[in-house]
Amino acid sequence: MLPTLRPPTGEPITLALLGNPNAGKTTLFNALTGLRAKTANFPGTTFEQKIGRAQIGNREAVIIDLPGLYSLESGAPEEKLASDVLHGRLKGRRAPDAALVIVDATNLERNLFLASQVLELDLPVVVALNMMDIAVNDGIHIDINQLRSELGCPVVPISARTGKGLEDLRREITRLAETGQAAAPETVARDKPDCGMGCGGCPFQARYEWTEAISGKVSNAAGARRSQRTEKLDEILTQPVIGMVVFVGVMLSLFTLIFWAAKIPMDLINHLFADIGGGISALLPAGDLRSLLVDGVVGGLGGVLVFLPQICILFFALSLLEDTGYMARAALVTDKMMRRLGLPGKAFVPLLSAHACAIPAIMSARIIENWRDRLITILVTPLMSCSARIPVYAMVTALLFPQSPIKAALLFTGAYATGIVFAMAVALVLRRTILPGGSRPLVIELPPYRLPGWRTALLHTFDRAKIFVQQAGTVILVISLVLWTLSHYPKSAVPERAVTMTVQAAQLEQSGQKSQAVDLREAADRLTAQSALQHSFAGRIGHVIEPVIKPLGFDWQIGIGILSSFAAREAVVSTLSIVYGLGESGEDHPNSLYDTLHHAVRSDGTAVFTTATCASLLVFYILAAQCLSTSAVVRRETNSLKWPIFQIVYMTGLAYVAALVVFQIVSRLVH
Amino acid sequence: MMVPELSHNTEIPLTRLEPGQCAVVRRVENESEDADRLKMLGVCVGRRVEVVRAGDPLIIRIFSSRIGISSSLAEGVWLELCSPGRCAMKTPAGS
Repeated sequence: MLPTLRPPTGEPITLALLGNPNAGKTTLFNALTGLRAKTANFPGTTFEQKIGRAQIGNREAVIIDLPGLYSLESGAPEEKLASDVLHGRLKGRRAPDAALVIVDATNLERNLFLASQVLELDLPVVVALNMMDIAVNDGIHIDINQLRSELGCPVVPISARTGKGLEDLRREITRLAETGQAAAPETVARDKPDCGMGCGGCPFQARYEWTEAISGKVSNAAGARRSQRTEKLDEILTQPVIGMVVFVGVMLSLFTLIFWAAKIPMDLINHLFADIGGGISALLPAGDLRSLLVDGVVGGLGGVLVFLPQICILFFALSLLEDTGYMARAALVTDKMMRRLGLPGKAFVPLLSAHACAIPAIMSARIIENWRDRLITILVTPLMSCSARIPVYAMVTALLFPQSPIKAALLFTGAYATGIVFAMAVALVLRRTILPGGSRPLVIELPPYRLPGWRTALLHTFDRAKIFVQQAGTVILVISLVLWTLSHYPKSAVPERAVTMTVQAAQLEQSGQKSQAVDLREAADRLTAQSALQHSFAGRIGHVIEPVIKPLGFDWQIGIGILSSFAAREAVVSTLSIVYGLGESGEDHPNSLYDTLHHAVRSDGTAVFTTATCASLLVFYILAAQCLSTSAVVRRETNSLKWPIFQIVYMTGLAYVAALVVFQIVSRLVH
Repeated sequence: MMVPELSHNTEIPLTRLEPGQCAVVRRVENESEDADRLKMLGVCVGRRVEVVRAGDPLIIRIFSSRIGISSSLAEGVWLELCSPGRCAMKTPAGS
């Protein structure tokens, strides 16, 4: 008796899509569901599930894309998850109505391993025999009817990339839905993989003997002359030295692409949001609502959405690279070296792209399959100096070395290097302490080289961008609003001096000295802004933490700056600008800002920005976890609160201690 | 289809197999998850394996796929060499 379908009538039929990695599962999924797919985490796990809807025949189908698997029974977490899904053990969701197994026609022996396990379940199965176009090219001929009879289920030859055979596949699925049964082939010669004499040892062995036997019967693959393209390319690309050179080249190009190609769209987005802010400012009277909308909402959202171009470029490029098969070679070539550092080979991608922005970098850590490796990579990625730190580095280096561009450049480079060194160190420490276990030894399939699929890449990019925007729209918006509130409330009275200056300005206007009046008004505004910030919650918090940050050489004003960096790192520059009385436009005139800061003195006459303070400020910003947007993304990628919190805590602790040490040492050296 | 008896050829670890030589897996030491990953991909008893590039990691061909393996894992895979003219495994067309 063949298994029958059990969907309640009228409901869409649910299909679970399974297959080996690199068998074309994603391409098939996209071909069937197109844009009607959404990605979310499987509840309680960090595995992503893609669920899409497809119109198949006259029926709706819901397709669940399970992670690529080689087997259902070896105990790996993704396999347990797939098994749970197939048996309906996942909370709140019943078992799928049928399983659609994708099998790579050019590698039957291995692909049938998984297929045979699925066939043993109590589920109707349809096998999609993919990559028929490549098989034909390679001179491989497969007897579909015999394969059907051997497996005991429908087998549909397709090429997901070109779309060939998809209609037949849909028809087969429709037949399944309508008759409620998988089509019975004429003869079912299904010969279950027999434990037999191999049973004492290896469960894999018996099953592989079975798959090899069947493949031998239905295809001539063993003797076929295949294309040698992959072999020839690999001779070069997996050679240790050349391979590494190529890898570095590819990574640098990727990085350059993200950095430079994104500049124009990023400027456009900045302008767009500035215009929107300007538009709102023009419409509303000055006041809290306007400030909330312009500075809080528009400013906050814009500051995050500006990263969209980088995210899109990164994921598009990664998808293409993965599709060509190159990523596996990259992992191979870098494995030994990275493993010594306690990181997996593929960690190169997030670590490198974090120099542009940590947000897409952390999202890209998904390419690391092993969870512990991925977690360690995610935890150390924000130590890489991202582009938001550049304004801060620029400010500090200008304060330290105003006249010496060479020293400034060296300091800049040193800042980047410090981040990298600390990341490696933290990874090693994590490995020895709370996330023990060396990086697992490498076992990786090197798929045949292929031309990448643009459609897959576009859909993947769109998917990632959608997730990011949803995040920005919610979590990050909330954070921006909270920080806005902290710096705008409670209200305080306008300082007396500012009132006096305004009165004087009015007098000057009357006597015709317009430009002096304007200057005086601006001065009054700056003073008011400075006072408002000092008396706000943010200001009070600054005062409260001052004793804590004093050993680092910081005062409460710098404390406010650090607090404001939580919205966005570069905000510290504009905040310091306000706090020291230069008003909001201070950062447009960096030299005057730096000048003011240079001369800022405390009430006891000592300079605020001494060499030691600058040095410790720099070190603090290199290491501190300040981008709450990053933490929001970490939360999503780790599907927990404890890891982003841990990350904030350890990074802040690290920053504090390092800044402390630097300040104490430098202040003794320099006096 | 009879599995051929263990011949008197000595077994060698995968790390000592030379490119172009073909051999059959006789045993996989190491009961860990990592060994399971190897076996899932086809590197289990009775399968024919060929080294494409030696080194660390090394690259092998199994069925028609290529797998990269750390030598630390490969050390635990023991093979019997095919001697010239006689394959240590049943031929693909049947016994």
